[in-house]
Amino acid sequence: MLVIMLAVLLIAGIVSVMNSIPLSVRNVYGYSKHITGATPRGDRSFFPKLKEHFEQSPVPIDRTIVARTVIFNVKSIVGPWPFVLHGIGSQDAGYVIEKVGLKLGEGRFPEAGKPEAVISQRVARNLGLSLGDALLRPDDDKNFSPYEVKIVGILEGREWFAFSSYEYLKENHFPPVDVLMLFAPNQTEQRNLDAWAEESLRSQRAMVYTYPSLERDTTETFRILFKILNVVVGLLVTVITIMMGMLINIYLGQRIVEFGLLQAIGFTQRRLISRAIFEAALVVVFGWVLGVLAAGALLYIIQLVLMEPRGFYLDPTDTLAYAYSIPVPIAIIVAAALTVWWRFRKFDPISVVERRIA
Amino acid sequence: MIEAHSASLIYIDHGREIHACRDISLEVRDGEFVGILGPSGSGKSSLLYMLSGLKDPTFGEVRYGGARYTTLDDAARSNLRLREFGFVFQQPYLLGYLSATENVVLADSSSEDAYERATHLLNVLGLGDQLNRMPSELSGGEKQRVCVARALIASPKVVFADEPTASLDHAGGVQVVSLLRRHHQGALVMVTHDPAMLDQADRVFSISEGTAVELLKK
Repeated sequence: MLVIMLAVLLIAGIVSVMNSIPLSVRNVYGYSKHITGATPRGDRSFFPKLKEHFEQSPVPIDRTIVARTVIFNVKSIVGPWPFVLHGIGSQDAGYVIEKVGLKLGEGRFPEAGKPEAVISQRVARNLGLSLGDALLRPDDDKNFSPYEVKIVGILEGREWFAFSSYEYLKENHFPPVDVLMLFAPNQTEQRNLDAWAEESLRSQRAMVYTYPSLERDTTETFRILFKILNVVVGLLVTVITIMMGMLINIYLGQRIVEFGLLQAIGFTQRRLISRAIFEAALVVVFGWVLGVLAAGALLYIIQLVLMEPRGFYLDPTDTLAYAYSIPVPIAIIVAAALTVWWRFRKFDPISVVERRIA
Repeated sequence: MIEAHSASLIYIDHGREIHACRDISLEVRDGEFVGILGPSGSGKSSLLYMLSGLKDPTFGEVRYGGARYTTLDDAARSNLRLREFGFVFQQPYLLGYLSATENVVLADSSSEDAYERATHLLNVLGLGDQLNRMPSELSGGEKQRVCVARALIASPKVVFADEPTASLDHAGGVQVVSLLRRHHQGALVMVTHDPAMLDQADRVFSISEGTAVELLKK
């Protein structure tokens, strides 16, 4: 039972940790659900045409904001991840954070042209920063800015988000290209705007950033990884099944006298086979349930102790992780049934009562 | 009750034909104690297995209540062994994870009063203070008496005993046979190599090299 339990724990653990990566992608960049982004590609003179293009949008646009962006790094379980520091004008800051589902919890918004930034609670927790700390520094190659960019405000809410002064980023950061942040009146229209922008700007000198494209890219990125995972889990199930088949064979061998005696005194072979398979199935199912409970508990502890404090994501109730472990009990029960059938195929109770088998 | 007509049993051992029983004809009548006497390897156990339906004769036939065993399927034959026959084997096989009482109940677990009857039988057989003991806590003689109780609990019409005294000393062996005789109203077919164990038998068959069965009328 312990073997089954550990196998379930192992498989559910691997799948859950693997799933935590795309889950983290979707969570960390979840703010982009509320924004359609567009920027010139290769030619910044294309920007006025880009603006005109969106003015012709068949989808209603609630507000268009001209912004700048700078990349800095947040931490993830697979190393540093790029994250966007948006340069937003002070007249738009309140609107943007409200659309993203955040509100100012501590401090204030950045002053125009000043090296100041506002970050959400999740970003602050991930980086271990608080009000007054520096987000970007001149001596930090990965999170560089010519001046120390201090955190002047913390946003409350579930999304990850960071912004600075539009004027400061325009004056001090590369690339010197503006970005359009487009907001539709609601989520349905936002998805329509995403689709229209992607379709209408395909093969144009513009880059479009949307949440659906992030979803597609994430799925595509992890497709190969999950194929490899399928092979690994398949091998694991095969090894465990062979091992369990051998263990069940040994177990039946140890009880062969019992089965011989019972058959000799009048128990039918069918009843004994059913009994042996039922006992094996009971052990396997019980082991699987215990394995699922143990995996759930372990993943919950990992989430609580390792992931959550660092702003990482892991879902202890990830049904896919437990679904991946289902082939284990099924394969073992099939192996047990075949083993039992094989042992009883030519079983002669007289060989037991005559002590030819003992 | 049980009739064997020209029953022969041949089996193959390492490519060699072994004639365990040759052309045996005998009858076991209701309520009688039939002893089968013979040295080791003479075929007496094989004869017992044929008479109880555990093995089919290679030639000839064995009938119980007029019906040939070979006409019964596995379920019907198993049911016959469970409901109408009782078995005591040479080794006192008991299930190690069940108590003495539970081992006895095993042979009649579908009866509502099985526990009461098992307790009564064990008391009668002198094991009243061992009811809840596990097999590992019982002596060889005590285990064999539990096996006798297990054979008797379903009130079988026939008890088949295959060298039930072999693992016991003489006094223990005599006690087991006496208990079987005293507490079983139906037929008793007992195989042994020890003539002293058949003192109470109504009839004794001698078997030698499986080739012939000689009736020794007592």
